[in-house]
Amino acid sequence: MAIFEVFLKKDGRDEFRHVGALDAANDELALVSARECYVRRAEGDLLWVVRRDNILSPEREFTAPNADKPHRHHSGEAVAARRKALREMTKAQPDE
Amino acid sequence: MVLCMSRSWSSIDDFEAFLNNGGIVESDDSMPDEYRLAVFRFIELHANSEQMGGLTERDWIPRTPGLRHKMAVIAKTQDEFGHAHLLYMVAADMRIKTRREMVEDLYAGKSRFHNVFHYRAKTWGHQVAIAFLVDAAALASQQAVFKNCSYGPYRRILKRIISEEGFHMRLGEDRMMRIAQGTEMQREMFQQAIDDWWWPALQLFGPDSKPNDMLLRWHIKSERNEVLRDRWVQKFVPMLQSYGFTIPDPGLRFDDDEDRWVAGPIDWAPLKKTFANVGPDSARRISEASAHWEESAWVRQALAANKTVNELVQA
Repeated sequence: MAIFEVFLKKDGRDEFRHVGALDAANDELALVSARECYVRRAEGDLLWVVRRDNILSPEREFTAPNADKPHRHHSGEAVAARRKALREMTKAQPDE
Repeated sequence: MVLCMSRSWSSIDDFEAFLNNGGIVESDDSMPDEYRLAVFRFIELHANSEQMGGLTERDWIPRTPGLRHKMAVIAKTQDEFGHAHLLYMVAADMRIKTRREMVEDLYAGKSRFHNVFHYRAKTWGHQVAIAFLVDAAALASQQAVFKNCSYGPYRRILKRIISEEGFHMRLGEDRMMRIAQGTEMQREMFQQAIDDWWWPALQLFGPDSKPNDMLLRWHIKSERNEVLRDRWVQKFVPMLQSYGFTIPDPGLRFDDDEDRWVAGPIDWAPLKKTFANVGPDSARRISEASAHWEESAWVRQALAANKTVNELVQA
């Protein structure tokens, strides 16, 4: 027996989403079990079942070292402030 | 999966600060042992209760009146066992007991399950009262856990369980409406069911939460037992009375100043008996469950034998 992780997705919508796990002796039984355990009310149209052992899962430090990289974002507030400043500047110098 | 996503905390204070900050614990984290054990026990109790609930529901498949309701009961039975399965998977990932150990402990009478499954459902009226009053109490408790649960895997699986319990509640209400609009004999049967199940349903919420309740402190439960119980009383007393039924609580009164119902004193002795697995129907329930487990050994053997679906069907 092996542990499998189950992912579901509605056709044409959203991403695959993890819904839970199950125990099964082989791939075929894992699929049947996944349907009976997780898709009894048409919760999804597409199913992924993956052996837990096959999931690559690195440490948090590997995955998320980018919390301190402001140059990869831009604050909308800064742009709004510049917009406002520019409008005020143009108002102060009316057309001739 | 390579289990190296673990986080750890230097002290329980650190851990509690993480929880108070809205932190969510995952199964691979090096959580404090006390937390791991408390959460595990809570999920195991929930899983056991779903399992025993599934068996009760199953017993009623042949006796449920009408094909449509019979089919709904079959679906509900599968849901209850399905919930037990999801919860046992989540509990097993906490690496305290395996799924098999949990089920075997349950059937050996070594584990606890909710008080309401220590009573016998004797009539269809009882089943209706259980499906409505008891399921509502269980659902309210689960929603209060879902709202703010710090253990991620439990919270995520509760979302699914709660949506299916919502279906059960509507089914219960539908059945109650039918019996309440039925013959005099049906109404008497339902009144008897309210008399028999009112107190067990009320006791399901448990005695008032203690000031140092760790499940509240660690953000597993989000509301105190007495708050949930009171909300249930405020809902069901006026509802059942408006349908012409009476509540079997001689101490029940309406407080005009506070504009709310106040329940009479609650005798907690019956609840404590169920904690020790010596409730009115505990012995029969556990021995029947254990017999089902023995009888179904061949199914587990077949599923573990690495055969194809075709081979299993032909065997």
